[in-house]
Amino acid sequence: MARTRYLWAAAFLALPLAVYIFFVILPLLSSFYYSLTDWNGFDVDYNYVGLENFQKMFTDRLFRNAIGNTVIWMALAIVVPTGAGLTLALTLHGRGRLSNFYKSLFYLPISLALAVIGQIWIWIYQPDWGLINTLLRAIGLDHLAVAWLARPQFALICVIIAWAWQQTALAMVIFLAGLTSIPTELIEAAEIDGANYGQRVRSVIIPLLAPASIVVIALAVINSLKSFDVLYVMTRGGPFHSSDNLAMLMYNQSFQSYYIGYGSAIAVVLFLITLVIIIFYFRQTAKVEQLYD
Amino acid sequence: MNGKRLLIVWLALMMLTLGVSLATAQDTQDVSIVHYYSSALGQESMTALFDSFMAANPQYRVVDNSAGHEDFKTQILVTIAGDNPPDLFSYWAGARTQFIVDAERLMPLTDFWNENSLDDIIPAGVRSAAVYNGEIYNIPMNVHVVGFFYNPEVMANAGITEMPTDWEGFLAMCDAILASGVAPIALGSMNRWPAQFWFDYMVSYTAGAEFRQQLMAGEVAYNSPEVIAAMETWKSLVDAGYFVADANAYDWTDAADQVANGEAAMTLMGTFITGYWNGNGLVPGEDYDFFPFPVINPELPVVTHGTVDGWAIPAAAANPEGAQALILHMLSPESQALWAQGQGALAAVNNVDTSIYSPVMQAAADYLAQVEFLSGYDLSTTPPMAEGGLTMFAQFMNDPAGYLTYLDEVEAVAVEVFEK
Repeated sequence: MARTRYLWAAAFLALPLAVYIFFVILPLLSSFYYSLTDWNGFDVDYNYVGLENFQKMFTDRLFRNAIGNTVIWMALAIVVPTGAGLTLALTLHGRGRLSNFYKSLFYLPISLALAVIGQIWIWIYQPDWGLINTLLRAIGLDHLAVAWLARPQFALICVIIAWAWQQTALAMVIFLAGLTSIPTELIEAAEIDGANYGQRVRSVIIPLLAPASIVVIALAVINSLKSFDVLYVMTRGGPFHSSDNLAMLMYNQSFQSYYIGYGSAIAVVLFLITLVIIIFYFRQTAKVEQLYD
Repeated sequence: MNGKRLLIVWLALMMLTLGVSLATAQDTQDVSIVHYYSSALGQESMTALFDSFMAANPQYRVVDNSAGHEDFKTQILVTIAGDNPPDLFSYWAGARTQFIVDAERLMPLTDFWNENSLDDIIPAGVRSAAVYNGEIYNIPMNVHVVGFFYNPEVMANAGITEMPTDWEGFLAMCDAILASGVAPIALGSMNRWPAQFWFDYMVSYTAGAEFRQQLMAGEVAYNSPEVIAAMETWKSLVDAGYFVADANAYDWTDAADQVANGEAAMTLMGTFITGYWNGNGLVPGEDYDFFPFPVINPELPVVTHGTVDGWAIPAAAANPEGAQALILHMLSPESQALWAQGQGALAAVNNVDTSIYSPVMQAAADYLAQVEFLSGYDLSTTPPMAEGGLTMFAQFMNDPAGYLTYLDEVEAVAVEVFEK
């Protein structure tokens, strides 16, 4: 009987496992393999170059630029969606029917693909008739109405804002769920003890939102590392690589310059960074769970 | 039915499904095609050509997979490198084709060319775009010439009745347009490649076409005095305020709209702009017209830059016979006429009734017949080099003052690419 159950389990797991191995594990391993070669993507022949692709990163200004942009993106991913999501959640939590309407409204970006969000924000940033420049001109600030996505000093930040718009909605939902799980007695007790709203948020609510905060921050960081679609739609890493992150540089090196070997090496670095963050995330989650147990 | 039997039935069903799938995949009467004519006009004309092919050749069914211009570059790489290529794909003649030929991923078509006497219908100048390493690999479909496309009304308002043929005349014209309150030149370099035409002509007309070919092959340096002089000539135009501001904020169609709307007088673009404008209801010769890039140094040979779009068959194509039949259909005078009119292109063959050309396209065709044809920048040098160069053009349009630094940076790319 037990053997049949195992056979059933194996039969049902075989297909998803095969799909996972074929579409995730094998490409991952092949990326590691190609990162040690000089393959251009077309040639049947290519050479084993050892760690040459990884050494190149130390002298490649495009790589340094992409690492810098990735760090900026990660830092803003921790601050902006977390802060804005928490503020929205605190504002909308338990405020009746109108708050439900606003929750739905702020939740809306999650239902949109990042490519769609990118296109919406392209229109918002459009220099001639975009929302931002139209507003700036309407209030007499014509000199501030610039071509946002065409300026290297603004392009990355503009893309991050568009991306954060969606991430904020995700953070808000997670914080709202976290707020619901906080026992009302604790907040009432603090109120009876004379704590004002600011003190209650700082000393009771935020500490109790620790599990939710870890999820929000980890998701924001991981999503920032793998962000590609919104960047591809909005700037493709431009103008002239100013908004490249590691994912976009990997794409450009692999499919525009046909340096598949170097692109794979960048993919390996991106994978390792993400792995470190995921391990950190699981450890923190385990610690918090232990604390609550 | 007990558990074991159910398990056996389930596994049998899975194997049956797999078997049916494999059997279906054996059908090779489909002719799969990937192309980058995905705009409304391009797709409409291409679909009409596929329909007429299938009507004349019922044994074939065209499986059409069009992709956006930029996405196509990645898609075709992935499908060819992954040994899952289409039977036929559109491709730009020049260095990009050379790149795949060198990787031995394309099927030689010299026999196909000779058996069908294509020399009789494809002019020698266009044929040169088909030959790589002594064999034919890319069958030309159409030719695009790059020149100035302008708004006659804006020119007339600026008091310009005759288009310039020399550099002094061009500068005087730009000054007159500027004085009339309109930006002389629109450029939409958001996707970088539209700026390359400026670099092409600047180098060809200040240092010569031969020098430019050497530059494309990595034989001379990007920070050489000749290229510096070419960039300084280009910079003088930007500094004079001739270009619409923030070129990198706009695509080439935006620049075309700026000219059509009278916000700018002209744009340096390929003849495919006529297809875009015609689709928007503009009348060739009335709403827009053409003149070639003016000569800067009369001692240097006159050339035209442009594009030859063609068809290539992957070495691993499943149905090369079907692909060749489709190419022959594309080269018929009727197909070429339909394509040239719909796409705003010059036909690749010489047996097309040229009365189908608008006055603007006829002017471009006449010019092409007189001068040497050279592919545009990103079709003349290797893809990794082109990537570096295209980035430099966008940098230059953002801040021309840094041109010496950009040239040093792009030369560093050239050193790596050409292993200097």
